[in-house]
Amino acid sequence: MKRLIWILVLVGFLAFPVFSQGIQDSVYAIEEVAITAERIFVKEQAGMKQTNMDTTILQQKVALSLSDLLSENTSVFIKNHGRGALATASFRGSSASHTQVNWNGININSPMAGMVDFSLIPVYIIDELILKHGSASLADRSGGIGGSININNQAEWGEKGRVSYMQGIGSYSTFDEFLKLSLGKGKIRSKTRLYHNYSKNDYTFINRGIARIDPVSGEISNPLDTNSHAAYSRYGLLQEIYYRAQTNHIVSVKYWGQYADRTIPKPSSYEGPDYSNLNNQLDTDHRLVVDWKYYGDKGKLLLRTGFAGKKLDYSQQNRVPGLGVIPAIFSISRQESFFNTLSYSGGSQEDLSWEGSMDLNRHHVFSADSVSGAGYEGGRSELSLMWALRKSFQDRINLNLMLRQEWVDGQRVPFVPYFGMDVRLIQGMDLLLKGNIARNYHQPTLNDLYWQPGGNPDLIPEEGFTMEMGMEYQQDWSGHLLKTELSLYRSDINNWIIWIPSYRGFWEPRNIRRVLSKGVECNIQVRGYLSALNYKLSATYGYTSAVNEGNPLIWSDESYGKQLVYIPLHSGNMMAHIEWGNLFLTYQYNAYSERYTTSSNDVTERDRLYPYFMNDISAGSTFSLKRVELFLELKMNNLFNESYHTILYQPMPGRNFQLIMKIQL
Amino acid sequence: MGLSTLFFITGCMKEELLWDLEQPAYDIPDKGIFVTNEGNFMYGNASLTYYDPETREVLDDVFFNTNGLPLGDVAHSMTIHDSLGYVVINNSGRIYIFNTSTFELVGKITGLTSPRYMHFISDTKAYVSDLYARSIAVVNPISREVTGSIPVGNANREFYQHSTEQMLQYDKYIYTNCWSYDKQVLVIDSETDRVVDSIEVLKQPNSMQLDRDHALWVLCDGGEEGSPYGSEAGGLLKIGAGSREVQIVHRFVRGERPMNLEINGRGDTLYYLNGDIFRFAVDGSGEPELLIESPYEGASMAGFYGLDVDPLSSELYVADAIDFVQRGMVYRFTSKGMPVDTFRTGIAPGGFCFNF
Repeated sequence: MKRLIWILVLVGFLAFPVFSQGIQDSVYAIEEVAITAERIFVKEQAGMKQTNMDTTILQQKVALSLSDLLSENTSVFIKNHGRGALATASFRGSSASHTQVNWNGININSPMAGMVDFSLIPVYIIDELILKHGSASLADRSGGIGGSININNQAEWGEKGRVSYMQGIGSYSTFDEFLKLSLGKGKIRSKTRLYHNYSKNDYTFINRGIARIDPVSGEISNPLDTNSHAAYSRYGLLQEIYYRAQTNHIVSVKYWGQYADRTIPKPSSYEGPDYSNLNNQLDTDHRLVVDWKYYGDKGKLLLRTGFAGKKLDYSQQNRVPGLGVIPAIFSISRQESFFNTLSYSGGSQEDLSWEGSMDLNRHHVFSADSVSGAGYEGGRSELSLMWALRKSFQDRINLNLMLRQEWVDGQRVPFVPYFGMDVRLIQGMDLLLKGNIARNYHQPTLNDLYWQPGGNPDLIPEEGFTMEMGMEYQQDWSGHLLKTELSLYRSDINNWIIWIPSYRGFWEPRNIRRVLSKGVECNIQVRGYLSALNYKLSATYGYTSAVNEGNPLIWSDESYGKQLVYIPLHSGNMMAHIEWGNLFLTYQYNAYSERYTTSSNDVTERDRLYPYFMNDISAGSTFSLKRVELFLELKMNNLFNESYHTILYQPMPGRNFQLIMKIQL
Repeated sequence: MGLSTLFFITGCMKEELLWDLEQPAYDIPDKGIFVTNEGNFMYGNASLTYYDPETREVLDDVFFNTNGLPLGDVAHSMTIHDSLGYVVINNSGRIYIFNTSTFELVGKITGLTSPRYMHFISDTKAYVSDLYARSIAVVNPISREVTGSIPVGNANREFYQHSTEQMLQYDKYIYTNCWSYDKQVLVIDSETDRVVDSIEVLKQPNSMQLDRDHALWVLCDGGEEGSPYGSEAGGLLKIGAGSREVQIVHRFVRGERPMNLEINGRGDTLYYLNGDIFRFAVDGSGEPELLIESPYEGASMAGFYGLDVDPLSSELYVADAIDFVQRGMVYRFTSKGMPVDTFRTGIAPGGFCFNF
């Protein structure tokens, strides 16, 4: 019944833009969805599972973080530590550091911790998003045992200059401002994006971690608390400049800078004094990449150089009588990475191509705690050589062989081969059988090696051996397009690094686990027209069995043969999007099965991460007044106002709203 | 796959249902041992296990099951006074007070920054040591309020000093060890609530005991290698009753990490963990003796995390946190090191509290 009421409210909401049509000069026609099949039989991608994120979805989620988009629209599992807080990604049951994240070809994983906080990547800065599942990530670099997430920016040649401003206003004092300026003509283009996000994040929740004890009856109840000390703000700039000297030479420079200031909530059960246990994190990032692309008669040359710098300051402060609020922890870290790529892809014939590339990277990090004085300084140099050969046989079979050899600090690391194949089962039809077999390595992070105390310089790389098989099918018929893909994989990862307490009293990373991850990924998308209605339906489903097969530490160790913590066995999502005239409506559903927080998969009522189901809905309209395009959207998140948590005792917000307005000249 | 279909059709998460708990009908033994399970930092999954050494019955998660309330984030220690249990919950900044014969919550003391241990001076006065507050809180266990604080801050700004840990009383003096980046035992006059003296020991004193002659024994781990505070070989130290003079009785090998100094009920034998379990007679008649070997391969693995000695039977209870993210184990041995029983606890068992 409750749901029905909400649906009625939404229908009422839809009437609003219809009413506003009265003031319109002309109806801005939403571009018709191009119902053309993509090329899926590509020899350079033979055997690879790749997801190219739909631009409708990128537009839909433009005011959100990449963590939201990945969890709602892909099979990647996001471990979310709260609204606006740390969010890490797991592909196919692997760990957060097994997902390589590339921004315009340079790797932006932290060389210290190995992972990426996806809550710090706004969808607004993304023009193209490509997910490479499993060994497909080897096309760019090694280390992506789970896969890779590729964020790209692109020039808009031939478009006229544009300015657009977008304002988001949401629950819990959330304000998002985005400005985009697109300029240039002829040979030169410039795109500038500026953004600012702020949220007080002060939602309320029933605090199960705190007892209110009735002084008379002794009865226990839980107070209604506010998520205090949880505000976040971000400022960012993305600047791109493209220069096309001649039709076959393009030089581009891209810079992305961001400053993020977050307060991290205390444990919800904390009842210490005010001004105690105050946690704050500042992230400052600078990333720069310069590309020169040359398109010759026989091939394409790419020369790339890049830089990624990160400053991360974390502090915990407490009030000490007589001294005021002083830090008990104040850790600072500086991370700098330099990237250089030279790559050439050639092949004069349609059915044969080759590619050779060389990467030379250098990382340097420094970390210190100014209270305890503990810290370390470390670095790493990487040289990677890759050679690939791709061959197509009569539009029926594609073969793809990629060989990679790397050296880390001058030491040769084991050889990384990949072999993939596509078979077109029926001539003229996009029905492919595909598969690959590959080896992959993930280097220990610099924290794993050198962290004080505990870093273990004797760690060896994590080693993955992966096999994958799947079917891909695409069919279009009179205004409708169906795309579907089913993949099965098996990945055996040895020397998996986990941090465990050592008898010396602190935690130490060790190569002790073996993880066998097996699973199924399935996605389906249908889109098309039904007279005046444009529709798009998409769904993904993942079955992920990621099991610890390492030797038990002791006879009583019950983690052997158990699912890894925080990896759901089932995960899935669905999205329905319809456009009618200048109106649109989107429904989003996202679900995970239970996750475990114990390595033995023990569950108690106290620490259960029960199955997660989330429903969001949004509706809006696009119209124009003279030459000005306007866009208005209202989103309702957590439609059924569910109380839930995705991390133990970190309550999440109930039903909340966001209004987005955009104006474009 | 059938399961997955079901999982897509169903809707709500129904967090409320989780909390629709039924209180178990416990037949609570009068005498027993509480095991404080720390749980994981920031997970809020600390718990209490109750064990009857006579019947070997184990009651799991007694606080949560009785009160429908999680204990909190990192249960550090527990004290019993007048049939009430006081559990110090470090990262929740509070002490929960419960009736040890029913496990029912009766009250709490809040407003503590990062509390570690509680020590009773009288029925109306207790001290609570703290990792970050740079003071010891004075609390009134009857009114359950913080009534004052004893500053223990140090002028040494290079390191965060002093953090206070365990507290032991001889005469009117309370001795507390300052472990983190420190090498002091502070002496507090419990009548004036002031620090009156400090005793320099070896680096990082982590635990203490008083023996039958009221001599204070202090176990120092020597600090971590590579730490800016520096490190040295740890040691077992003796400070004569009421004296401030330190005698180094045993020196460990550099890199060893001794911890958890315990003493038997008669106060004549000390026990500690140093990977394995060692025993040492307070009369100093010999060297520390290896009593029970850790079952973990190599010396570098975690393994034994907590240790205590039954004050009546002198039996040993050893807590094993395994990988710290699953339910741990407790092994019970005779005072001679012969195995008696094993039982499972909650996550990261670290401390024991004898309810005799």
